[in-house]
Amino acid sequence: MASLVRSWIPLLILQSFLVAVAFGSKEAEQFSEALLLKPLPDRKVLAHFHFENRAPPSNSHGRHHHLFPKAISQLVQKFRVKEMELSFTQGRWNHEHWGGFDPLSSMNAKPVGVELWAVFDVPQSQVDTSWKNLTHALSGLFCASINFLESSTSYAAPTWGFGTNSDKLRYGSLPREAVCTENLTPWLKLLPCRDKDGISALMNRPSVYRGFYHSQRLHLSTVESGQEGLGSGIVLEQTLTVVLQPETTSVETNMQPSWSLSSLFGRKVVGSCVLAKSSNVYLQLEGRLGHESKNVDTEIEAHKLWKNADFDLSLKPDRVLRESSGLLFIFDIDKSSDSEPFDLGLNWKLPSKWSCQQAPLQASRFLMGSGNERGAIAILLKATESQEKLPGRELTDGRCTIKANIFQIFPWYIKVYYHTLQIFVDQQQKTDSEVLKKINVSPSTDKVSSGMLEMMLELPCEVKSAAISIEYDKGFLHIDEYPPDANQGFDIPSALISFPSHHASLDFQEELSKSPLLSSFKEKSLVRSYTEVLLVPLTTPDFSMPYNVITITCTIFALYFGSLLNVLRRRIGEEERFLKSQGKKTGGVKQLLLRLTAKIRGRPIEAPSSESPAAESSFLSTKLIFKIILIAGAAAAWQYFSTDK
Amino acid sequence: MKIVILVMLLCYSFAFSSGDTTIHTNNWAVLVCTSRFWFNYRHMANTLSLYRTVKRLGIPDERIILMLADDMACNARNEYPAQVFNNENHKLNLYGDNVEVDYRGYEVTVENFLRVLTGRHENAVPRSKRLLSDEGSHILLYMTGHGGDEFLKFQDAEELQSHDLADAVKQMKEKRRFKELMIMVDTCQAATLFNQLQSPGVLAIGSSLKGENSYSHHLDSDVGVSVVDRFTYYTLAFFERLNIYDNASLNSLFRSYDPKLLMSTAYYRTDLYQPHLAEVPVTNFFGSVMETIHTDSVYKAFSSKTSNNKINSEMPVNQLSEHDELQKANIPNDELKTEKQKCPYTQMRVDLHEKLEKFENVDTVVNLGIAVMVFVVMISSSLL
Repeated sequence: MASLVRSWIPLLILQSFLVAVAFGSKEAEQFSEALLLKPLPDRKVLAHFHFENRAPPSNSHGRHHHLFPKAISQLVQKFRVKEMELSFTQGRWNHEHWGGFDPLSSMNAKPVGVELWAVFDVPQSQVDTSWKNLTHALSGLFCASINFLESSTSYAAPTWGFGTNSDKLRYGSLPREAVCTENLTPWLKLLPCRDKDGISALMNRPSVYRGFYHSQRLHLSTVESGQEGLGSGIVLEQTLTVVLQPETTSVETNMQPSWSLSSLFGRKVVGSCVLAKSSNVYLQLEGRLGHESKNVDTEIEAHKLWKNADFDLSLKPDRVLRESSGLLFIFDIDKSSDSEPFDLGLNWKLPSKWSCQQAPLQASRFLMGSGNERGAIAILLKATESQEKLPGRELTDGRCTIKANIFQIFPWYIKVYYHTLQIFVDQQQKTDSEVLKKINVSPSTDKVSSGMLEMMLELPCEVKSAAISIEYDKGFLHIDEYPPDANQGFDIPSALISFPSHHASLDFQEELSKSPLLSSFKEKSLVRSYTEVLLVPLTTPDFSMPYNVITITCTIFALYFGSLLNVLRRRIGEEERFLKSQGKKTGGVKQLLLRLTAKIRGRPIEAPSSESPAAESSFLSTKLIFKIILIAGAAAAWQYFSTDK
Repeated sequence: MKIVILVMLLCYSFAFSSGDTTIHTNNWAVLVCTSRFWFNYRHMANTLSLYRTVKRLGIPDERIILMLADDMACNARNEYPAQVFNNENHKLNLYGDNVEVDYRGYEVTVENFLRVLTGRHENAVPRSKRLLSDEGSHILLYMTGHGGDEFLKFQDAEELQSHDLADAVKQMKEKRRFKELMIMVDTCQAATLFNQLQSPGVLAIGSSLKGENSYSHHLDSDVGVSVVDRFTYYTLAFFERLNIYDNASLNSLFRSYDPKLLMSTAYYRTDLYQPHLAEVPVTNFFGSVMETIHTDSVYKAFSSKTSNNKINSEMPVNQLSEHDELQKANIPNDELKTEKQKCPYTQMRVDLHEKLEKFENVDTVVNLGIAVMVFVVMISSSLL
């Protein structure tokens, strides 16, 4: 026994030493995973995957990481990215039914396609180069054509309209970028457990991409350590937001569909990712606080919360939190295993109705005018029902106002006339000075840079609708610049409407929440919404026309020059003489024979027309003949001698 | 008699001395689908099928450049989101969980394609988008789309001409970007795309001759469009039977194409490719089977000749392919090849002839001829 203990001691020492090496350096890297499920009023279910990876400041320059993806830390170091967000989205966020005034929607409702913005920590002159290199690196990393954002016609440098104030910020979006499995896979590969274990194992590709909306987001920010000689830490936040339609068999239309994780995703959670510090599943139910008692301390009361007349949950929540607008059930998935998988289900018993909190103004954008020459873009802001209840109203000069920022990029072929900007409030045209507080315009340059418009509107609180319209001319592209499917039209990227005086946050009144997901909800986030992408048909040429032109021009040229040259150069008399002389001439073989006989006879040929190369060849041939004769003689001699024996 | 052997050895070593001095180091694959729009679903399915095959046979993702001109998997018209099928039985999802598309959508242009081949990229282009092959690489280039006489259409907007392809391959050869290159093209009149190729070490297979169309194999009524082309379908039918350790030869692959089933005649251009097709395993191009060479020291320079010989001698030849004749109509020099195989003297003569033709100095040619004649006379007389 003693010997056994003795043999174990060195091992234990070694192990503790290794642990010390791994985790001893101040703070360890942390990874956490979370899934938030939320039934939506329009009979859909929202699933929000949230992964956070923190790399603490270290002086090893990030060359070695335990959990943090190396690809990202290299990216941050090489291009000196201070903050960056990349999102891949398909589908459009329904602000009316899915919410517009909560942290979830303000952070995860993204424009269609790819959106990228980044703040760099480099001198002003190098920002564009860094941006260009970053887009290329990201395109390689995420299997997408993000490198199209490198050209100066596709990105812009917003000053204040975007919400992040920095002169080293670059923003670009690609509305037509396809989003599919190949983008999700590299994104999942950044997670320590990939999609093999933990919550991410739920991501069955067909069910994710069958949804109404999916947005995959990657947000990274560097945290300055403040200490000399110590590098900066990186916080990488990866989220995937999916809106799914649960399959339902009930015929009742006002009944919310019941669902479970396995019916939504076709998979169950078996155990958490062992590398994660925390892995939780949250279920958020909105608008069900009214008939519950305030006190949830007693066991019976808590039980009532998750099994009651309205609905019941298939699993007992580990904790229940309450917020002003709803309930939050928390589940730990550590206990689940292969034999007992975690398969949360929600079963509705009674029809239930609720509504989401919406942004003060709902934005939409459309095109006006017809024809291929000119048109106008209009942005319409409509008041929502919840407008009066919202905080964030401001009193300026004794009036109650709502502030709204509009940020819009125009591609260069949409030539906007900024002087035609018109603002209507409640169908009445207003002068700029009345509602327009700030405006920043950077006009586009043909084929060089895109145009950008930033506006800050100050609308009265009782506004019902506000419209902004601006006219434009359609430009012409060079034939090489048209995409292969030019007839489909060209996209104008989404405009961003943000409300600088409104901030969304959810506070679950918990002792400084340990969960990164909840703490991210607790932070006040700017309320913002993106408008639709507009499709502008441009004049497209008949692409086969150049070929027709080339063909017909060439034919005409050939006919014209051919006949002209014929007339100029042809000499009939000469030709006849030539033909006559050719009749006398003998064939090539005959001439060769003639020459050969002449050589054998040792007399020169009658017509000594042969030049130097011919003479050389005849010299060669004599040499050759001589050699052949020599060899033949030798062979004959050999033959003679060998037979003699 | 010893003299005869000596002479033969001398001639052989002479013939082989100019052969490649590199050994096979790695395998690369460039798979290109050049067609946009939903009704060209089958072209993407073709390319993804080949992608799956080469991945299954051992080429890793970082050595595959996959170019897809459109997004079919997550297309709004696709009934099966994030899935692509090449058969109506839907047993195999080609767009699995681990697909890495390097060039997609508008990025699939003739310019980018030629940049990938020739390696002339901007500095910022990431490694995953580059063909980082070396002089010992075997490259498989698979292209599918709509084509015609000496051209292949990219995205219905541009054309890749046979001259462009030949020039790119020539440049690759000069830059030592490959040892052996196999070009496989599934389009109408695919054979015409190879007309201009000149570089040695290039093997080309096309799905159809000039004037012939390449047809799709079958329609999937659930997806709504044809899902695979005939040539690719039968290529896959061949490969599905194989695993990474099989030694099926290229010859057996070529023989598996039946013009009746293909509804077109598969064309092989082999005149630029030195080794016998019966001795080359398909995994030379479609897989990544490395030859392991044991060395005593760490960095010992090993001669290529021995390793080459080793490959040839150790490779079990597919028994069927030995005496089978390929379709003679398609391979003009196949007859010559089989003859080569039968008679070593003829081969020697042909090799010598090729050598001699390259000489600029006529005198040396004559002298060599004389030397050979002397030997011939000696041999004939001694035999008598």
